[in-house]
Amino acid sequence: MNTSQKTVKLGAIAIGILLLLFLLFSFLTEPSTNSPPPPKAISNEKPAGGNFTLTSVNGKQSLTDFKGKLVLLYFGYTYCPDICPTDLGNLAMAYRRLNEQEKSQVQILFVTVDPARDTATRMAEYTRYFDANMVGLTGSEQEIASVAKQYGVVYMKAPTPSNATTENKNYTVDHSAFTYIIDKTGVLQTQIPHAMSPAQIQQQIKTYLTP
Amino acid sequence: MKRTLHNAIFTLTLGAMSTLSATHALANQADAIQVSDPYVREMPAGAFATASFMTLSNQSNQAIKLVKANSDVAKITELHTHTNDNGMMRMRQVPFFEVPANGQAELKPGGNHIMLISPTKTLKAGETATITLTFEDGSHKQIQAPVKSVMKMGGMDHSNHQHH
Repeated sequence: MNTSQKTVKLGAIAIGILLLLFLLFSFLTEPSTNSPPPPKAISNEKPAGGNFTLTSVNGKQSLTDFKGKLVLLYFGYTYCPDICPTDLGNLAMAYRRLNEQEKSQVQILFVTVDPARDTATRMAEYTRYFDANMVGLTGSEQEIASVAKQYGVVYMKAPTPSNATTENKNYTVDHSAFTYIIDKTGVLQTQIPHAMSPAQIQQQIKTYLTP
Repeated sequence: MKRTLHNAIFTLTLGAMSTLSATHALANQADAIQVSDPYVREMPAGAFATASFMTLSNQSNQAIKLVKANSDVAKITELHTHTNDNGMMRMRQVPFFEVPANGQAELKPGGNHIMLISPTKTLKAGETATITLTFEDGSHKQIQAPVKSVMKMGGMDHSNHQHH
């Protein structure tokens, strides 16, 4: 009897140890979390928005300078190889399809999230390409960070690729790619996601242009 | 002894022959891939990189990996992908694009693309870029990709606005 009880006890202990080992093992072999934490700041809640002052090729420019116009605000950078040209191209195409009267009430603003490389001159040169009366804005790292925070924009330099040198400055920037629609009184109305078609954007413009 | 040698030679020859015929049956991977609608996106002045898009169709019964691309218009050519991480667009270099057996891989804006970095000149609509694709088996395919303006793509409905 005694020996049998002992065996049961030993068995229980053995099972316990095995279970512990198993838990420890599965914990240790869990995929390592080397990747950066997900950007928490992208929330589904509407960001506060609000006024800001940045620099265009023509000097200081504030959101309030565009009072009376519907503002389409986009954040990106000129070295952006795909996402920004896609979104800016669609915005520009939507704008160019408006009639003259509508155009006079709409302003596209492009704010860089890469102020280290995007000077006001470079932003002007880049935005001119889209032929949509777009204004390019840059600022100090702090100024950009503060505007981004107001609008819930998240951005960070991507891990530097192996072929990057200081000479070619070959780095990309991960960034959220929403377009913010700000009404004529400067109030942020909505944000539209990446890769909306020109027709969809045009629809949004019309919605918010109608009083 | 002689018999064994004979057998060995026979086996080797057979082996070599079957290898050859197998290679022949598969042809090379480049031949099994058909490329449609390739284009390079026109760049705004001073842009540092642009992208090339196309559809790759695999005519074979085996998945084929595109492992490399080169172009005469860029110093560096890389394969890249985008992930949309809850609104955060992350672009990363990838080692290959896989074209499924008898299937297609679409390279398109916002997704997989061939990135042309440090272009040798500003690419304008109407020009053509030569892109060489290299597959896993080392075979190549050269394609001509016209440069297209982002402003002229998808914008077919201008006619709606002529009456204002």
